[in-house]
Amino acid sequence: MRAVAEAAGGLRVLIVSTDPAHSLGDVFATTLTSTPRRLRPSLDAVELDAPRAFARWLRDHRRPLGEILEHGTWLDREDVDALLDLSVPGVDELMGILEIDRLARGERRAREARQENQALRVLRPSRSYDVIIVDTAPTGHTLRLLSAPETVAAVAGVLGDLQQEHRLIREQLARIGRPEAADRLIAVLADQARETAARLRDVQQTAFVWVTLPEELSRAETGDGIAALERAGITVRDIVVNRVLPDGGSCPTCDRRRADERNVIASIRRRFARGRTIHTVPAAIKEPRGIGALASLARSGAKGLGLRANDTTKPFRASARPAAIRQRPSALRPQPFSGASLLFFGGKGGVGKTTVAATVALRLARADRHRRVLLLSTDPAHSLADLFRSEVGDAARPLPGGPANLAVRELDAAHALEMRRTQFEDALDEIAAAIGVEGASAAIGTSELMRLAPPGIDELFGVLGVVDARADYDVIVVDTAPTGHALRLLEMPQAAREWMQVLLRVLLKYRSLVRPGQLAAELVELSRSIRELIALLRDPETTRFIAVTRAAELPRRETARLLGRLRRLHLAVPAIVVNALTLAPGRCVRCRAVSAAEKRELASLRKACGRRCAIIQTPLSAPPPRGAAALNRWSKSWIEP
Amino acid sequence: MFILDSLLIGSLRFVLDKVIAAAETEAEDDSALREQLLEAQMRLELGEISEEQFAAIERDVLIAIREIKGRQQGPISMSPDDKITGVDIQSYADEDQ
Repeated sequence: MRAVAEAAGGLRVLIVSTDPAHSLGDVFATTLTSTPRRLRPSLDAVELDAPRAFARWLRDHRRPLGEILEHGTWLDREDVDALLDLSVPGVDELMGILEIDRLARGERRAREARQENQALRVLRPSRSYDVIIVDTAPTGHTLRLLSAPETVAAVAGVLGDLQQEHRLIREQLARIGRPEAADRLIAVLADQARETAARLRDVQQTAFVWVTLPEELSRAETGDGIAALERAGITVRDIVVNRVLPDGGSCPTCDRRRADERNVIASIRRRFARGRTIHTVPAAIKEPRGIGALASLARSGAKGLGLRANDTTKPFRASARPAAIRQRPSALRPQPFSGASLLFFGGKGGVGKTTVAATVALRLARADRHRRVLLLSTDPAHSLADLFRSEVGDAARPLPGGPANLAVRELDAAHALEMRRTQFEDALDEIAAAIGVEGASAAIGTSELMRLAPPGIDELFGVLGVVDARADYDVIVVDTAPTGHALRLLEMPQAAREWMQVLLRVLLKYRSLVRPGQLAAELVELSRSIRELIALLRDPETTRFIAVTRAAELPRRETARLLGRLRRLHLAVPAIVVNALTLAPGRCVRCRAVSAAEKRELASLRKACGRRCAIIQTPLSAPPPRGAAALNRWSKSWIEP
Repeated sequence: MFILDSLLIGSLRFVLDKVIAAAETEAEDDSALREQLLEAQMRLELGEISEEQFAAIERDVLIAIREIKGRQQGPISMSPDDKITGVDIQSYADEDQ
């Protein structure tokens, strides 16, 4: 919407999506790729393909990168090639930050060219943008994206250290002062990291707009997110509250929702309005798609909303569900939750994954008091503590007032890394020794890397968290980060195994120089656990993925793509939970229109889901259920085949 | 002759020390065997050897480790505190004289 508005204002705009689960093409009702596509004369759009961008980057820099590794270690070409062919954790954030830099440099060069030579403007119009709008991944991974420049700087530092000896030999013994490709690569990486980090913090160049929903969990996430951004020196001047129910006729459901949303917006204003502008965007019955709809929304969005002050809130009652919607149980379909030892809940940001995952975890724990259940959140932007209104931390703990056989944990990857710091530093020292890097941890800059929470760390520790928990729990319910990073989490065991294999091969190859020690023993153990986990993930009896979505076009389209990716990963998807449905529209015109639109989306979801997959419908609850007791009551109103 | 004798005894003593140390290591220290087992585990993870091959190596290594443990628990032939105080040397040159 912002991009369309800016472009209409005469600026040349590029909109970039860095979320691995892109929705930008859906929003513009077109197909987008990693090459900018012109949507309007002054508006281009692109969806980054991070793994492909990384492959291209690597192709361009493979030779100098390989030379640095060969010069700085005793690895030979074969080892180096094996290392360079590995997939990189956090590739979305690392490439996102490098691509934004590349595009921003293109913009600056074009702007300078315009001042010097008008002809160049015509020659390179596609690289000339006045504004680049970045549509980032949801909260947790946006924070990782913003810390990516520091990771790139640390990588440049490591490469610089590896290159140092070779550089000295060239300069002092061979008297060659001219920098070679490897030196240039290190310098470019260090520059990119420094400039991008500075640009992100420069309020003249970068504006950060926080987009949220008028819901309590989103408000809490807004608070955590803005605090984290400010700690990183990034200023948020604008907050957009999206999908706010507009004024309309009185109806029990709408009135409750309006009252609830009004409270949340008032709380956002109280807490964040100082020095910031709060914008609200009305909820449309049909989600806006295409440039026309976005332009019209951009025009109306500026007017504000004027919420009703009618507060007739009554607690939600499960009896609001009409009996007519109840479906017959199907004998063909497997039970989506029972019997599994590993249950993943995933979907687009803001659809209610955490609420649904927590409800199922509570239900499983209550159904069998001997079953040990762990509810594990791997989303760096956690919501479990807000949902349960109770303290939840990195150590698994029982829930006050909850079943004794249920433990909850919000994985804090940075904390988990800190806890294992000594172990990791020892491991890195051993790796450094095994590849012939002297001075070990100092030389490879481990302490610097350890200080950061580098991209990919949430997925790595998510996998380690699941591996560790398997011994202590019968069922692990994983509340994942939104779609793109849930998929990265599921791809992580394979990626981690490939890394371990390369390391084991190197340790074996150079065992006459450095005897395999503690690291090799730990790698063997971990490799075995991850091999078991990979087998477990492919077993539909033990592992299931439950897709959570809303009955609206954008989440439905993302869900359809998610199902395709999960099929390729050989993961069983026995159910889709369609959350927050208007099941009892009554006579309210808006509710009836919403319900009709939802039914159409439900029909499309059924088609995407297939016969072996159940559609579970959950009713919209205003206010949303919070705490174990409310979740339990809400669970009773689910419609399950 | 005295210098030659002490040199001879000194060198021999050095060699014998080494032989005893190596024998002690082999007899009492199972670290080489453990390394062999770790190496086999690494090869198994890499798919370089099969489960059956690994099981065979593991069985051999465990037997060898058990033998070492058995020897350690049996009568002690030489402890690390035992010292060599002298060596009898008979030289052909001496006989000729």
